[in-house]
Formats: sequence, C-alpha cells, structure tokens
Amino acid sequence: MRLPGSGNVDHGLRRRILVYGVAVGLGLFVLLGRIWYLQIQRGEEFSAKSSGNFIKEIRVPADRGMILDRRGVRLVDNRPSWDVYVTPAFCGDCEEVLGRLAAYLALDAEERTRLDEQVRKARGLQRFQPILVRLDLDRDQLDVIEANRDSLPGVDVVSTPHRDYLYGTLAAHMIGYLGEANAEELERFRKAGLSVMLGDYVGKTGVERRFEAQLRGRDGIQRVVTDARGQRIPGLEGLIPRSERFVPSVPGHNVVLSIDARLQEAVEEIFDVPAGAVVVMEVNTGYVLAIASRPTFDPNRMTGRISREELRAISEDPLRPMLFRPVQSHYHPGSIYKVIASLAAFEHGFSGEVHCGGGYTLGRRRWRCHKESGHGWVSPEEALQVSCDTWYYAAADRIGIDALADMARRFGLGAPTGLDLGWEVPGIVPSVDYYEKNVRGGYMRGYALNTVIGQGDNNVTPLQMAVVYAAIANGGTIYRPQVVRRIERPEGYVVQEFLPEVRGRIDVPKASLDRVRKGLEMAVETPGGTAYAHRILGRRTAGKTGTAQVVRIGSVRQKVEEMEFFTRDHAWFAAYGPAEEPEVAVVVLNEHGGSGSRAAAPYAMRILERYYQILEEDRAGPPSPEKIALPPRRAPRPAPVEEGAASG
Amino acid sequence: MNLGPPIPARSLWRRAPWGLILVALLLTAVGILNLASASRTADASLWTSQLVWVGGAYVVVLLLLAVDYERLYQLAWPFWILVVALLVAVELRGEVAMGAQRWLVLGPIRLQPSELAKLAVILVLARLYEDDGEKPEGYGLVELWRPALVVGIPAGLTLVQPDLGTAALIGAVAGTMVLVARVRTGTLAILGAGGIVAGVLSWFFVLREYQKKRVLAFLDPEADILGSGYHANQSMIAVGSGRWAGKGWGQGTQTQLSFLPEQHTDFVFSVFAEEWGFRGGALLLAAYAALCFMGLKIAAQARDRHGAFLAVGAVALIFWHTLVNIGMVTGLLPVVGVTLPFMSYGRSSGLTTVLAIGILANVGARRRTS
Repeated sequence: MRLPGSGNVDHGLRRRILVYGVAVGLGLFVLLGRIWYLQIQRGEEFSAKSSGNFIKEIRVPADRGMILDRRGVRLVDNRPSWDVYVTPAFCGDCEEVLGRLAAYLALDAEERTRLDEQVRKARGLQRFQPILVRLDLDRDQLDVIEANRDSLPGVDVVSTPHRDYLYGTLAAHMIGYLGEANAEELERFRKAGLSVMLGDYVGKTGVERRFEAQLRGRDGIQRVVTDARGQRIPGLEGLIPRSERFVPSVPGHNVVLSIDARLQEAVEEIFDVPAGAVVVMEVNTGYVLAIASRPTFDPNRMTGRISREELRAISEDPLRPMLFRPVQSHYHPGSIYKVIASLAAFEHGFSGEVHCGGGYTLGRRRWRCHKESGHGWVSPEEALQVSCDTWYYAAADRIGIDALADMARRFGLGAPTGLDLGWEVPGIVPSVDYYEKNVRGGYMRGYALNTVIGQGDNNVTPLQMAVVYAAIANGGTIYRPQVVRRIERPEGYVVQEFLPEVRGRIDVPKASLDRVRKGLEMAVETPGGTAYAHRILGRRTAGKTGTAQVVRIGSVRQKVEEMEFFTRDHAWFAAYGPAEEPEVAVVVLNEHGGSGSRAAAPYAMRILERYYQILEEDRAGPPSPEKIALPPRRAPRPAPVEEGAASG
Repeated sequence: MNLGPPIPARSLWRRAPWGLILVALLLTAVGILNLASASRTADASLWTSQLVWVGGAYVVVLLLLAVDYERLYQLAWPFWILVVALLVAVELRGEVAMGAQRWLVLGPIRLQPSELAKLAVILVLARLYEDDGEKPEGYGLVELWRPALVVGIPAGLTLVQPDLGTAALIGAVAGTMVLVARVRTGTLAILGAGGIVAGVLSWFFVLREYQKKRVLAFLDPEADILGSGYHANQSMIAVGSGRWAGKGWGQGTQTQLSFLPEQHTDFVFSVFAEEWGFRGGALLLAAYAALCFMGLKIAAQARDRHGAFLAVGAVALIFWHTLVNIGMVTGLLPVVGVTLPFMSYGRSSGLTTVLAIGILANVGARRRTS
C-alpha cells in the first residue's frame, strides 16, 4: 500500500524544475525572435508576396487599329464576337444542358458528339476549364441563350473583339487576314517589344502583317482579388490600391491606305475572271489606288472562322486563291514588254522602218509574227500600235539580249518593286549571263528573239509592269509602289507619313520616250491599233496589249475556246491615261484569258472609265465628311442624294 | 510523509491557482476569437462547437478540483493500458484521414487515442517517480528501461499510424520528465549519440516518403514552393505579412482567401499572426510563457513528487506543443501535424489541453503552504 505524499519534493528536484523553466523561457524567446524576423525584418517582403498571392492580373486587350481607305472610309474594323462556352464543373446534368444548347444553336450530330466526349473526358481541375461550344453567335442565337439563361447552368457567353473586314473580299490579298500567332511570330514580336501572348491573333499576310506593330496597341491590365483557387472574389477591390486596379489599354494606330475604296470596289466588280491581277497606280507618286488578285478569299473566314475542310479546299485549289498575284507570281509579259524593247533599240541606234512579211528568219529557224500575212513596212511607232513582232525580232537580233536586259533592269525588272507586303518575287531578266548559268548549251542568238516579245525566260510581275508604264507616263521616274499613305492615332494625329519614294530614273532621251508614248497612244486611239475597239470616247489613253503564250502548241493555232484552261495564253493590257497628261497606270493580267486585246483591254478601259468618273465626282464638290464615311456594305445604303446624269 | 488533514472545499477554492486559470481562460478566449476568423470561409462556424466543447471541459475540470489528484496514482496504469488498447484498435480498424489512421469511431464519438497517450504517459511516469523517490546520483542507462517501455509502446504505436508529430511530442514530454527526474551525465551522452543514430536509421527505415519530403522541404523551402514547401511557404507569408500591427480581425488575406492550408487546425497561429501582427504574436507568446512559469512554480511547490511530476508533465505538454507548432508555422521546424494548445480547432487536442490545466490547478490547489 502506497503512502500518499511519501516522496517529498526535495531541493534537487526543484533546481531541475527551475532549469527546465529556463529552457522553456529560451524556447519561447526563440519563437519571439522568429516572428520578429518574419514580421518586422522581412515584413515588407512578405507583404508583397501576400499581395502577389491574391492579386490576379486580367489582360484588357487593346483595340486593334482600323484600316481606312485614302479618304477615311473604314475598310477594316473590330466587332464583338459572342462565343459560347460550357464549363463541365458547373453544368450539373451536362448531357441535358448540352441537349438544350444543341437545339438552340442547331448543332449538328458531329459537333454534339465532340462536345459530349469533351465534357465526359474532363477530369479533376480540367472540369473548371470552359469548353468552346460555338464561336460567333448571331443575334437570334444570342437572344435565345440569354432568354434561357436559367435553364443553362455552366453556360457562358463571352464577348471577344474580332476583326471585321467590312467589305469582305475587297482587296483581301493586300489587306491580309489574322491568325493565331505561331511560336516563331511570338518570339519575333516579343523581341520587338509587342505584347503578344499565346493564342493572340496577329496579321498573317498583307497590310495586317506588315503593320502589325502599328495596328496592335498596348494591352491594359485589370487587377482583381482572387482566392487560392483562382476564383475572383468581388467586393474586395479595396485590397488593391486604387491607382493599380486598372491600367487602360492603348488602342492601335489606324492605317490609312492609298487605295480608293470606290475604285477598288469597281475593280472587284469589273474584273470578273477565274484568275488574274489588276493594279491601278498613280504615275506621279507610286501610290496604288486599287490592287486586286483573282481568285480571292474572304478574310472574315480566314480569321479564325474557317473549317479544316474549307482550308484544305483552298490549299488544294489549282488556281491557288491565297496567291497575291500582283507581286507573288511572275508571268511572261508578252507584248507589253515591247516598250522596253523599243527604248533599248532606240538607244542602240535601231529606230528605222522594218518590212514585216509575217516573220523573221534567223539561221534555219523562222520566228513568226502574230499576223501571218505580215504588216508590210513598219515604223517603230506602228510596231507598238499593231504589235508587230517582226520589227522587234529584227531589233533584238541587232542589239542583242544584254541591251534588252540592261533596259529592263533600269525599269526595275528582275528585282522586287519594294511594295513590302511579303513574299514578292523578283521576276527574271534573261541575259547572256543568265543563259550561260541556267540553261544547258548556254546562250544562243535566238533567245534574244524570244525575250524581245516577252517570251522565253522573260518573266515579270503585274506590279512591276505597272511601275514600268508609270515611268513611261511620268517621263522616266521609277517610284516605289506603296499602298499606305500614313499611320494615324485614333483621334487623327499623324504618326508616320509615307511620301512618294523615287527608286531611280530610266535615263533615256525625251525624244525616245515620246516616240514610245506616241506608239502606245496609237495602239488605243488610231484605227488598226490593237486596243482601238475598246477606246474611251472623250479621253485619250495610251496602252499596249499582250498575249503571253503559256505552252508551245506547235504550228497550228487553236481557238481559245478549244484549249484546255491551263494551256491558254495569258491576256495582258498595260496602259496609262489620260495620254496627254498621264495620271494613272493600269495593268490587267487575265490568266489564261486568251488574247490581250479581247480578254484584258476591255477590263482596263472600264476601270479607267470609272477612275475618270470618280475624278468628276470629286471635282463636283469637295467630299463632305458624311460622304467620306460611306456606310459599310453590310448596312443598308441610304438613298442616293442626287440622281445625276453621270450614268451617261 | 503525510498529507495531513484533507483541505476543506472552501479553502481549496481559495487556494486554487487563479492566475494560471485566468491566463488559460484568456488564451482559450483568444483562441475562440481567432477560430471565428479562421473558419469564416469554412462551411460551418467551427468556433461555436469548439466553444461549447472546451467550455464544458473547463466546467468539469474545475468541478473535479474537489477530487484529490492522488486518485491519478491509482488510475495511471489502467488508463495507460486502455490507451494502448485503443491505439492497437486504431491500428486494426481506425478511420483513415489524410493518409493516416488516427481516428477511432465509437458510436457518436470520434476519438484520437494518440492524444490520450500523452496524458497516459504523464500519469504513469509521475507514478514511477513518486515511487522511486529522489535518486541523488541520477538514473543510469539500464535503469531507464521502465520509462523506455512506458513511453516506447504508445509512441511506437502512434508512429506507425503514421503520426510523426504526436509520437515526437510524446517522446519530448516524457523526455522532459525523465530529465527532470535526473539522468547520469554519461548516460545522457550515450542517449544523445543514440538519438542521432536512431534519427539516421529512421530516415532510411521508418519515415514514409511524405514525411521525408516535409523534412527536405523544411531544409530547403524554396525548392518546391507548389509542392511540399507550399504549406510552410504560405504560412510564412501569412505570418510575415502581418508585420507590426496585423491586418485586423477577419482581414487576413492569406486566411480569408484560403491560401493558408489547415488554417483552423495546425496553422492557426499563422492566422493570428497575420491578423494581429507582431504586437499580438508577442503578447500571445508572453501568455504562453506566463502559463508555463506558473505551472512550473506549481510543480516546485507541489505537495509531493507525484504532484510535481504531474505538473512538469502538464507544462511540458503545453510547452512542446507550442514550441513545435509555432516553430513549424514560422518555418523553424519541418511541417508535422502538431496542434497549438488553446488555439487549434479539435476536440481531442482541446480536451487534452484543458485536462493539463485541470491537473495543474489540482496540484496547485494542494501545494505546500510553507
């Protein structure tokens, strides 16, 4: 039996309890030191980390700049795209919700299966990730969804700014389109200091691509309070200093084109061919007024609204709709090359008459003139008027291929024009050197004869020819063709102005140039000229037809209608007007269209007519602001203000 | 040798250590207030249930002042055996929570026997050292076999749950009592060396993967901020961002926006430090210090060795919990699941704390008057 209280608390035990007390004191003092260290010494640092924890930065995307025509007509703008998402974690009976959505949005069975699959596969945190149901609802669909909000848990409609090409295909190749930035673009833009994130849309082609840096603005930041799960907690904005809650975005700059929307629209309407290119350029500035490529595409669809099938159809289309033909493809110039040949011939003293008996014989071969019966005695001017090949065969045989090449290069052929919209091809200027390097057997005299009529290996782009004809029209100045006049801030302050840029002068005597211009005018305005049938009454035009053979067909000529499309000749017409005091150059290339006088000249002439008409309109009264801001095509047009005699 | 006549109830009431009880009640109140803030984001208001439970425990314990702690002498071994049996039962059919078997469900009661094990060890050791009387030369290595068994069995059973924190706590509390009972200097050296060897061995053979990760995360907290180091890192941010004055009650962003893990149990001090700052934290530490000093004073003035060791054990329980918990949430120690007395939510741990205060009050009320 134990005796309670048998063991006394002696002195030694009390001493050890005291020692333990000291240890306890030390231990708690260490803790005090620790919280001093964390809260006082490093308090500021941890405060910042704490703020970093709950402050989430939400990007406020900047509005992309607009693209305007030379008078300020909006061609490209932004609009909201209403996109529907479903979040598996919040939709409860997702199958049922999807069923309702499918009915409202008329989803097809395939889309439905894809969505069911995606929703079912979402596991864990993935279930909080919204799944895209449909991009770009129309008004009716949006209304239906909004009206049935309550029966659609987990369904969100999000508005994101989307590029709006107001006139659809109008100047599509030149303006370009947007697409999601790829790795290479991300890297490049970031190096350039632009705020581009994965998934952002950037310009893929054309002006959209070339002026990405100017069009894109600077994104803003909105800071919100979120909890550890990243859920936004409303009502706690007070935790963030007022000045840091919102950094507004800076909208991108507007790009003002040199394009005249009215002329461009006319070109798009008039030039109704399967494949080809049109360039209308001011001869005294190099500003492009209209530029078109056929076939074309709708940048609205290309910008993130195109199905895989449609994309494949485009890439497999033998006519290659994405090709920007004015600069990205080269062609035999055919007879429109002859202006260069004439000037080269004059420079080397070949400027007399030649007798055309329907062809020219060199060695054992005979080079045929397009007129088998021959033109008889032909002067240099008449050679251009009737496009007599024989005169040029004789000239080429006399001056040689390098004389031609030299003149061609002075006109800028064989090198990109400097339009600077990407992937511009240089064309080919054949010379002795060229053949020695590239063709087995090296150079032969006959090559000069092929080259002089724009055949053989002679290749040019439509835009290069516009520069050539502009130079002839303006007295010999080579301008860099430009499509952009200036870059403006949204309120109109001009950030950058693109002035006319002279790249060189062809440097030939005025007399020579006058003779060529005379010949070109005769081709349109004098009976017998190749384009006489299509002249504009009341305006004098200078121009040259061209018919470029694509394949050698043997000795028998076939009618165009009987030939396979891809074996037909290319039809060219290059012109400028008015002949006396030239303002614009027009180049039309109708790919596989047949003869230049029938399949190219009529288009060019109608375009010129429209140009003069616009000139009249502008002269009648300086455009008022209301007139400048033409409503976009989609909106109903107001009734014409005045019914005029202009239609006559 | 003799208890003398039993103390009448009225004088017992007068002689109760009211200073200690007041500090304990104060700490409890602060703890409830803090829980109310910490659990604002939780589904239920945990603080009310904690208030009812702990409040009830205080009433019972104060009523038990009338019963002499001497009863614990007889209760020690039966209680110890019961606890060991419960620990074995937990091992066999306990409820798994957070990857460890810690809970035993007995009808409506969910019990954490490892919490009771701390008390059982205190009771048995106090009995042993009462029986032995003072050993002027101290205990040698071989003589330590009894306390080794008394502590080793429940601690070992807790360790395999696995619950490293509680096992270590049991060891620390028992170790304190053994040291206070006096151990020979040579033996102490051998034990120290043995401890290091055991630590190294347990790293390779005993510790689970997640426990090792926590230790590693402690040694290099920046290495894995989103993984093992996440808790410690977020906790240090909470404490540090409280700075001098704190963010205010219910205003701690780390707490209210759920960046703090386990904010109403193990990391409850971080909540307090974030919202009350260094001022509040220092005062809280001062309160713990006062409580421990008053408890040790009770031990030194105890009527007998039994009471002295009970009091030392109770103080050791509160002190080690406090040291390990706050050390852990401030990044001084690795993250192990150890609660903070008076502050953490939890019935078992709350009950243990109140029982420790009750023991101290009981021993204090019967202290020698000389």
